[in-house]
Amino acid sequence: MTEAAMEIGGVNRNDRFTRGSRLVGVLSKAGLAFAILAVMLYGSFVSPAFFTSGNLLNVLTSMSIVGIVVVGMTFVLVVGGLADLSVPATIACGAILSLGLQPVIGPLPAFVLAVGLAGLIGLLNGVLVGYVGINPIIATLGIGTIGLGIVQAAVGGVIVYGSNPASAEFAKGRLFGIPVVVLIFLVIALVGHFVLSRSFWGRWTLATGGNYSAAEASAVPVQAVKAGAFVITALASGISGGLLGLTLQSARPLIGGGYEFSAITAVVVGGVSIVGGFGSVPRAIAGLIFVQLLTNVMVLDGVRTPIQGFVLGILIVGAVGMDAALRKRGVS
Amino acid sequence: MTVAADCALDMRGISKTFPGVKALSDVNFAVKFGTVHAVVGENGAGKSTLMKVLNGSYAPTSGTIRVGGAEVRMRRPADAQALGIRMVHQEINLVPDLSVAENVYLGRMPGKWTFLRKGEMIRAATAVLDELGAAIDPRERLGNLSISQQQLVEIAKAYAAQPRIIVLDEPTSSLSEHETAALFRILRKMRDDGIAIIYISHRLKEVLEIADEVTVLRDGSMIETRPIEGINAAHMIRLMVGREVSNVFPKSPAEIGKSVLRVERISDGTRFRDVSFDVRAGEILGLTGLVGAGRSEVARAIFGLSRLVEGSVTVNGREVSINSPSQAVRAGIAYVPEDRKGDGVVPGMSIRENISLPILRRLSRFGRISRSADHALAAESVKQFSISPPDGERRINLLSGGNQQKAVIAKWLAAKPLVLILDEPTRGVDVGAKAEIHHIIGQLVAGGMAVVMISSELPEILGVCDRVVVMRDGHASEPLLRSELSEERIMALATGEEMA
Repeated sequence: MTEAAMEIGGVNRNDRFTRGSRLVGVLSKAGLAFAILAVMLYGSFVSPAFFTSGNLLNVLTSMSIVGIVVVGMTFVLVVGGLADLSVPATIACGAILSLGLQPVIGPLPAFVLAVGLAGLIGLLNGVLVGYVGINPIIATLGIGTIGLGIVQAAVGGVIVYGSNPASAEFAKGRLFGIPVVVLIFLVIALVGHFVLSRSFWGRWTLATGGNYSAAEASAVPVQAVKAGAFVITALASGISGGLLGLTLQSARPLIGGGYEFSAITAVVVGGVSIVGGFGSVPRAIAGLIFVQLLTNVMVLDGVRTPIQGFVLGILIVGAVGMDAALRKRGVS
Repeated sequence: MTVAADCALDMRGISKTFPGVKALSDVNFAVKFGTVHAVVGENGAGKSTLMKVLNGSYAPTSGTIRVGGAEVRMRRPADAQALGIRMVHQEINLVPDLSVAENVYLGRMPGKWTFLRKGEMIRAATAVLDELGAAIDPRERLGNLSISQQQLVEIAKAYAAQPRIIVLDEPTSSLSEHETAALFRILRKMRDDGIAIIYISHRLKEVLEIADEVTVLRDGSMIETRPIEGINAAHMIRLMVGREVSNVFPKSPAEIGKSVLRVERISDGTRFRDVSFDVRAGEILGLTGLVGAGRSEVARAIFGLSRLVEGSVTVNGREVSINSPSQAVRAGIAYVPEDRKGDGVVPGMSIRENISLPILRRLSRFGRISRSADHALAAESVKQFSISPPDGERRINLLSGGNQQKAVIAKWLAAKPLVLILDEPTRGVDVGAKAEIHHIIGQLVAGGMAVVMISSELPEILGVCDRVVVMRDGHASEPLLRSELSEERIMALATGEEMA
């Protein structure tokens, strides 16, 4: 770093940390890959069940359902939207409607309509956050609660069952030996990655999260971009919920509980900045892989549930702390 | 030079090396009590590094520091404060939601344990503000004050700590000339109290006015320390850049064409009313006035960053309705904002990503940004505006202020606007970059662009602009031709004071 670079009117107050930045930089890029390898290594030592194709396929399938939400949540964090807490509602909307509407309009239209209505919840979130300027935590919590209430009222608070075995078979089936759910997740992840890293919408998302005022003054439609992140997340959650419903062939209103937490954990552990402006879909997915493998290994190792929660909590705090530290050092 | 008793600060042989860069090499710097000592130099000359050594943020690689004759070692800013060294930074570092008095005594509030003695604090703050001749109510919420008043509070805060040495870093960058005069009265008062004042500024005219001594830094070395008598701006610039800058404000003559942007009787309902002017192709229209007169507000409203409640905006004879910056860009208007850090650059992004931001859709097909067009645009801009370092992939916040500003201007020129509005385009940039920016503006108008330039610096306004509109309290004067203008006349219009 040159002297000229340091003289930017006090912008870079942390230039005294530049020395360690190479090591920190390598860690921030490859740290997660090492962590994933370490967990796999540990897993294969503690449990002979870990490295079986059955177990890994299970992990992959359950990871895929959360993973679809993670792709959307990445946009919310990158755009500076903190988090979308309405995920349980949009998942429930996707799951309940895609099963409940099957007898009325058929499985595929039911699925599409379910995802569309989930997207509508996202649109409400987006308008409140992006255009009205309400804090995202409050807005998504409120809209999520309302949405869940409506879905519960619509189905009378009971469990909805699937009535179309063909669609269930498809969702639980495999294509070229790979579970369909996993394939759908991969396609969504690829599309999400392309949009965030290669499209103008993605660049706008990063700019809006990086410096909202400067993006606005650069003719970026910041309000729409911010709102869009919540729509993307809701659509993803709707798809995720629909697939969950189809695979389980039953859906209760609280089916999506905890998914918001898992998705946020994965994104944050993946090193996507909680204050926006930095992050990518592959990073978030790496975070997801790590968290899912760790959870799986803990389960196989017989670690008690409270301890598992404890470990995940530490992971989140550690990841957010790391983000803050990296931000200071100007690596991320 | 001997260490005299009146020597407040004596830095000897100061070097500071960062990995790969020698930021300061063997700098000697001495300041006497009861003097104003200016430090000048281009961005990157080492002024900030030297001050960070002085305030304990950096430990020097080698060299000794004496404060009041005694050798000291400072490991952190608190050490410097304990020695009576106070910094007033370019940006305001105060808490908007606290009162003026609470800000003045922030961190050193009187009172024991948890209970503040509020009355005592307000009395003390009143005394300090009175002493400085600042008419500010200590009970007022800081956020309600103008930027220039906040700057005075910042200085009062430093002064209240009864320092021996005060460092002021570009204190006038957000002040109008009128307010600068008030600041100078305060500085002279502090000087007469025996405080050593280190004054860092790019504004050489002010340095000549206020300083007793001046030190010139260039490329991390001390070039010269000398009394202010017998030196002029041209000489100082020569020492700073190591070359002659022939004309500080070169205005290349451009052919003036038809009117491009016309605003008629625009109001935003609160901060400006009934503002009318027009800019013609090939013309630079100056917009000046005191800070807070509504200049930036007019620009931001024309660009769609805030709403107009009345009036019309026409571009090339066609009335346009602008409610967002993207509509302004479509109408052919571009705006380089005043607050470069806040509104100009996206810090985590590269030069390339910043430059293409307003025209991303034009560079995209089916939503995908054309990689080659994106990179070509950045390469071309970097070359055309000689942005340094010439690397489009460099993160923009790692550039100097002047180079960031060039990148922001490049960003807007990529949108090929008909009208370019520049809000304080040369604020806080060094002499060399300033000349370059003026050169760029000159080329743009030569190419037929219409330019509106907002500036508080009257020599710049008078040197660059063809016509000038002076704003006062949200009202705009008639456009005045350069030939009928002088600094005195502009100040008279800006302050509403009758001319002598």
